Amino acid sequence: MYFTMFMLGFLYAVFALFLYSAGTAMIFIAPIIGIIVAVQYFMSDRLILMSTGAKPVTAEQEPELHRMVKMLADRYDMPMPKVAVIKTDIPNAFATGRNPKNALVAVTTGIQQRLNERELQAVIGHELAHVANRDMRVLAIANFLVTLTSFLMTMLFWNMLFGGMGGRRNNNGGGIMMVYLVTIIVYFIGQLLVLALTRYREYGADHTGAEISGDPGALADALEKISGTIANIPDKDLRKLQTANAFLIIPAALKGEGSMNLFSTHPPLQERIKRLRELEQRMRYGLR
Amino acid sequence: MGIFNGNKAPKNDWSAMSTVVKAEAKLQALGEITPSRRAGVIYRNSDDNAFLNDIESELKTILYVGAGATKTSFEIEDDDRGMRWIVLEDGNFSDLVSSVYTVGNAIGANGAGDNLLAAVFELYFTGTVEDNTYRSGLRTYWIYRYDRKAFYPFVPTGDNEGDRDRPTEARLGHDLRKHGLTVEKSLTEWMGLWGIPF
Repeated sequence: MYFTMFMLGFLYAVFALFLYSAGTAMIFIAPIIGIIVAVQYFMSDRLILMSTGAKPVTAEQEPELHRMVKMLADRYDMPMPKVAVIKTDIPNAFATGRNPKNALVAVTTGIQQRLNERELQAVIGHELAHVANRDMRVLAIANFLVTLTSFLMTMLFWNMLFGGMGGRRNNNGGGIMMVYLVTIIVYFIGQLLVLALTRYREYGADHTGAEISGDPGALADALEKISGTIANIPDKDLRKLQTANAFLIIPAALKGEGSMNLFSTHPPLQERIKRLRELEQRMRYGLR
Repeated sequence: MGIFNGNKAPKNDWSAMSTVVKAEAKLQALGEITPSRRAGVIYRNSDDNAFLNDIESELKTILYVGAGATKTSFEIEDDDRGMRWIVLEDGNFSDLVSSVYTVGNAIGANGAGDNLLAAVFELYFTGTVEDNTYRSGLRTYWIYRYDRKAFYPFVPTGDNEGDRDRPTEARLGHDLRKHGLTVEKSLTEWMGLWGIPF
């Protein structure tokens, strides 16, 4: 994982040098994007409350949930995070906050209804692991870099079309094209690295959560239970009912809804469940 | 009757299908949905059945003439998957449901009950439900499967098989059950109907 982070940093450092030597004035937009991402980063708990309709709940309103979060936070040695509930039947959970002091963990009523105590505990443990591992910080940096390049890409594209930016294009016609191409390449490599990074973070949170609870099977059970419900809705047309055999129903992939929630498309749920099961075996038989 | 459903009250199509009237009324009273004027019955046509061969005039008699006729208008359409649709139109939702039931019942009573696939109702979301989860203008189909005697929601997102909004369907199924609709419990039976002709 550190290699991926290093590669990401390296990629953008080289890119910055490249932009600088190409004399692009656009390097000045970096601070602007930086501010936007910083706002996102520092206000993430409030933003997530607004965008998901999550309602903060008190210990009186949700005593069981509060007790569970408190117990897990103690195990992670972190202060009690804010707790919120989202009123929707879709089972999901997420965590946010730039550090444990500003953390928020939210669960949907759908997940509360479907999971038993052991499974829900595993899910919250996984979310708190994201907070403990400072994953929001990593994500914010990655986000900044990708947003910056995609913004540059768009600007350069329009710049080439309309030849804007004052009268400087006479000595710069082919140059801009070159910068544009490099930006595209950097953007795509950056995307790949960010995906790899979130993948590691997800496995990492699964692993941390399992170590804290000592029960990797609980999260595997929860993931199986939840992915089972919605994915069971078939692809098949009713008119094929009598003509084809009714056994092969391939569950469609769940659609992702952002990167740090319980069901990011990435890494695949099946792979996470497999790893958790392996971890369960190793813990049970004391193998390393 | 098998050994496993011995303690359940026998269900018939009307007791299951009529729950749609109640569920629709509740949601409409909350300002959340509007039914469209149309619904359909889909079945596999058969040349061997006299009633199906003469479906148009038979339905005219049943729907337009006689006591209790709802005067619901209808059209017959064949889709490209070898199925026949009776598309019914009526501005009064409970009349529309009655007519859909009547059509299915007539087909069943004339020896073609096994040919019946489904009855389909179309409803739009107008407001928002509880937690802003249903987009206003969202079109949903409520499919009644004759072999299961139960409904399930269908929200297609395209014309290709498999294009459907599963999270919305799962949630809608849950909400409709709360409002009294007989909802199919097994999600694996929630098969879609892509290319509904209305």
